[in-house]
Amino acid sequence: MSLDRILVVDDEPQIQRFLKPALNAAGYEVVEAATGAEALKAVATAAPDVVILDLGLPDMDGKEVVAQLRGWSDIPIIILSARDRESEKIASLDLGADDYVEKPFGIGELTARIRTALRRKNKESAVATHFTIDGLDIDTQRRIVSREGAAIKLTPKEYDLLVLLSRHAGRVVTHKMLLTSVWGPAHGEDLHYLRVFIGQLRQKIERNPAEPVIIRTEPGVGYRFAESAN
Amino acid sequence: MAGNGQEQNKRPDPDALLALAEKDRRGKLTIFLGAAPGVGKTYAMLQRARRLRDAGTDIIVGLVETHGRSETASLLEGLDILPRREIEYRGRVLHEFDLDAALARRPAVIIVDELAHSNPEGSLHPKRHQDIDDLLDAGIDVWTALNIQHVESLSDLVTQITGVTIRERVPDSVLSRADEMLLVDLPPAELIDRLKEGKVYLPESANRAVDRFFRIGNLTALRELALRRTADRVDDQIVDYLKQNAIEGPWASGERLIVCVGADPLSEIVVRAASRLASGLNAPWVAVHVERTDREQDDAVAMRQLEKVLRLAEELGGEVKRIAGNDYVTEILRFAAEEHATQIVIGSSPKQSWAFWRRGSLQDALTARASGLALHVVTSDKETVRRRKPFPRLDLASVRMNVLIGVATVAAASLVGEAIDRVIHLPNLSIIFLMGVLVAAIYGGLTSALLASGLSTLAYNFLFIEPRYTLTVAEPYEVFALVAYLGAAVLTGSLAARSREQAKAARSRAIAMQALYDFSRKLSGTANVEEVLWAAVTQLQSGLKKNVLLLLPVDGDLKTLAAWPPDTEPGVADLTAARWAHEKREHAGRGTGTLPNSHFHFRPLMSPHGVVGVCGVELAEDNLNPTDERMLTAILDQTAVAIDRARLSQESVDQAARLEGERYRDALLSSISHDLKTPLATITGAVSSLREFGDRMQPESRDDLLQSIEQESDRLSRFVANLLDMSRIESGALKFTHDWVDVADVVRTAVERARKYFPGRGIETGLASDLPLIEADSVLLGQVLFNLLDNAVKYGGTEPINVYARRDGEAVIISVTDLGKGIPPEELERVFEKFYRRGKSDGRAPGTGLGLSIARGFVEAMGGTIKAESPALKKRGTRITMRFPVKAPVRSDA
Repeated sequence: MSLDRILVVDDEPQIQRFLKPALNAAGYEVVEAATGAEALKAVATAAPDVVILDLGLPDMDGKEVVAQLRGWSDIPIIILSARDRESEKIASLDLGADDYVEKPFGIGELTARIRTALRRKNKESAVATHFTIDGLDIDTQRRIVSREGAAIKLTPKEYDLLVLLSRHAGRVVTHKMLLTSVWGPAHGEDLHYLRVFIGQLRQKIERNPAEPVIIRTEPGVGYRFAESAN
Repeated sequence: MAGNGQEQNKRPDPDALLALAEKDRRGKLTIFLGAAPGVGKTYAMLQRARRLRDAGTDIIVGLVETHGRSETASLLEGLDILPRREIEYRGRVLHEFDLDAALARRPAVIIVDELAHSNPEGSLHPKRHQDIDDLLDAGIDVWTALNIQHVESLSDLVTQITGVTIRERVPDSVLSRADEMLLVDLPPAELIDRLKEGKVYLPESANRAVDRFFRIGNLTALRELALRRTADRVDDQIVDYLKQNAIEGPWASGERLIVCVGADPLSEIVVRAASRLASGLNAPWVAVHVERTDREQDDAVAMRQLEKVLRLAEELGGEVKRIAGNDYVTEILRFAAEEHATQIVIGSSPKQSWAFWRRGSLQDALTARASGLALHVVTSDKETVRRRKPFPRLDLASVRMNVLIGVATVAAASLVGEAIDRVIHLPNLSIIFLMGVLVAAIYGGLTSALLASGLSTLAYNFLFIEPRYTLTVAEPYEVFALVAYLGAAVLTGSLAARSREQAKAARSRAIAMQALYDFSRKLSGTANVEEVLWAAVTQLQSGLKKNVLLLLPVDGDLKTLAAWPPDTEPGVADLTAARWAHEKREHAGRGTGTLPNSHFHFRPLMSPHGVVGVCGVELAEDNLNPTDERMLTAILDQTAVAIDRARLSQESVDQAARLEGERYRDALLSSISHDLKTPLATITGAVSSLREFGDRMQPESRDDLLQSIEQESDRLSRFVANLLDMSRIESGALKFTHDWVDVADVVRTAVERARKYFPGRGIETGLASDLPLIEADSVLLGQVLFNLLDNAVKYGGTEPINVYARRDGEAVIISVTDLGKGIPPEELERVFEKFYRRGKSDGRAPGTGLGLSIARGFVEAMGGTIKAESPALKKRGTRITMRFPVKAPVRSDA
């Protein structure tokens, strides 16, 4: 089996300088691009499996690269960003980027995100109907959620929210995405709905709702469903 | 009305409801109306007040005159009485109603007797009913008393009935605003009995009038007026009730009156008559004045008369409109059609009719041309309205001039005629005289023309008609010719004079228009409030020939921001009036109902966004003439809008500056954050990579990662050091040691350090051998050089960097030259700015944007200068040159 190929888009040579040997060592093939235009070209020609994209590029906005890529490619995109570019990061996620890693980051965090992204890519076609995490069972075929055999009663909205998050297990789902798909496009900004429902959901599904492990908060961005062991 | 849409009629009239709501917020006005003094109004009022007080209402007596009558005085006992205000007026101390105290006390109900009372000069308002209006505005209910004779619209009638002229009058609008009107009635016979018993107080001075006034006939007539007035009011209330409750009925008469008024006393009578007529019909009415555009403005006396008439119409509850036009009848009829008037009221007096003989009377013309309109003609016997015809104040000089012109032209015409007659015999020499008349008309106006007509007839007769040199006429047909000549002369003369007047009027109007146009152009070119104010003040002064003030609110209070003459200052009373005008958005001060003893007449400057300030005009008399009025209004409108605009544009400039500042701060923050984070990200990433995958990596890769960690840490520490240096420079905490420095030594050290940092970059030095010592700090100078080299490496391309040091007279010059792309000339100075970097904030050569600005800070602190040149060599590259003065070192052996 050939190695998974990763396109690293960053204009800082020093970032490229450590990413390449690190990712190679982690078992990936690395393709480099320093500008947005190069990145678009590389996705078309080098057929990478994952794109790691820095938001600050010399020729175009990182958001623009995401938007253009999403026009014709479904390739997983992981954003690299600094904390002061919060809004750009969220905008990129809403535009279709899969995940983000905040600078400065450890290589372990990045490779974990890459693995999740690759998994998503590989089992894209087969949507799991059964999901188990931390003792919680979600059976989407029978619409049953249970913990250790005991059924948990969820309202339809809570159920929709849970299923949506679990389908993106391991990946961040932005507030806007959750709101628009569960409540509808008109409620994209109604953050308080989400906070209330996530709170209720955690009360029902978490072992210890005070320290949630299944649904994690990504401050200012959204929520991340824990990755299952299977 | 019945024919209109049923739906609409069923709904309550919104206007009626609105009026009701408006009333709810205001205090309620109760008027105790009587036919004559002594019927017991005050008594009735106080009795009612006691009942109310017993029921627990907060009712106080603001002012009641007991006139020493014990009955009334005893009623006052136990009631809360507001102390009066003492006013010194013409040497006497008057005890007047204290409006401010009443407003401060804020009772639920206040009694203020004698609605028709006039306040002494210097009070806030000239009339008591205006004081009462303020109380009502403040939400206080007011009870007051009034005798029917003081009602404005009835004053003519009262004078007719009793022969007594009424001076203190209350506008009908005050009565119509009353929420309740109580008639205090006493049969005339009983009143006369009370009078005889001495129970009716009358001022001493009025004794003579008393007998005339208190006659059964008079009192009966007055009582009837009072009864009728009260009954009318009841009618009104029923109509209001019907409207508010959407009860259908023939309540609205659908009538609408227009009243034609002019600048004559007859018009006052017409206005009063119209107001009575309108209130009988329950119809709205408009007083309209047609200003003739083909004539120059009327004289000041007429103007004042007109103002008086129009103000009267307003007071009586009519609307006032001025329209401009040439043909009186056409304009009136057009206006009537626009206003959907159903009735026209005009005045007619024998005196006036002569004015219309030329085109027939107004009355006839209107009758002939108006259709579907009822025409009321109010006649008046001239005995009661003797118009003191204001004899036009003749300017003696101009009269003399006019006479002179008339005489001179005739004399000239006679001479010319004689001369021609000597040469040839002309049968029609009268033509020459006619020309003379025309000349007189053109240069001297109507007076000269008429004078010339008469004189030339005589001269022609005397000089040229047989028998010559006598005034007798031999042939009968000559008499006819002479009369015909006179007619022709008068006609042409007056025509020419009139066209001259028209031309003059048109010219003065054109001048006024031009002035306004210039003003608006001047305003459109000014962007700040101050310029607008000065333009307005000078324009007003030159237009009105009066002192003017412009006051604008500054920190909550009005300040004189422009005045002409510039040292004009408003007095205390003037400022109070100005504040009133500003707060209430009404005219105030001289010539108005508020603080008329102020020297200035104040107007609010209203823009679409509200009131922007106040303009004061110093008036010598109470009114502005219509020309000035028009000019003032036009200028103030434009000024208000211009001030508004100037403020908005100032705000938008401020806004833009703020935005620019914010953008700069954002760029700065993102730049610093980028500079700190990139090395940090590299270090963290490399370290975690080594820990995670170190054992799987090639030794070279491991080594490379370690190297990058080292370099990035270095970069980070330099950046932090730079930031610290910068803050030291900025805070003024930069300390350096004055030392005698060997420039060559410092350059060598810096270059060595740079070579270590930037291996592979060629750095060449050229140091003169005669370099003197300079007074500087060797560490700081080394730092400056390193920063310059660092910069040259970043932007200087790949060719070697040159560092030179040489002596130039009394200075040492050190330069660092690269052969990179260079700096565009417009940016040569900006490169020394803090956080300035070529290129955008992200994705460019790594650097702090501080190097050069720190270099400049250090060099200047050491007494040197630094500048950038580009291109440096061969049309490319940049050279940074430092220059330090050379001072003779103090020799230790000297």
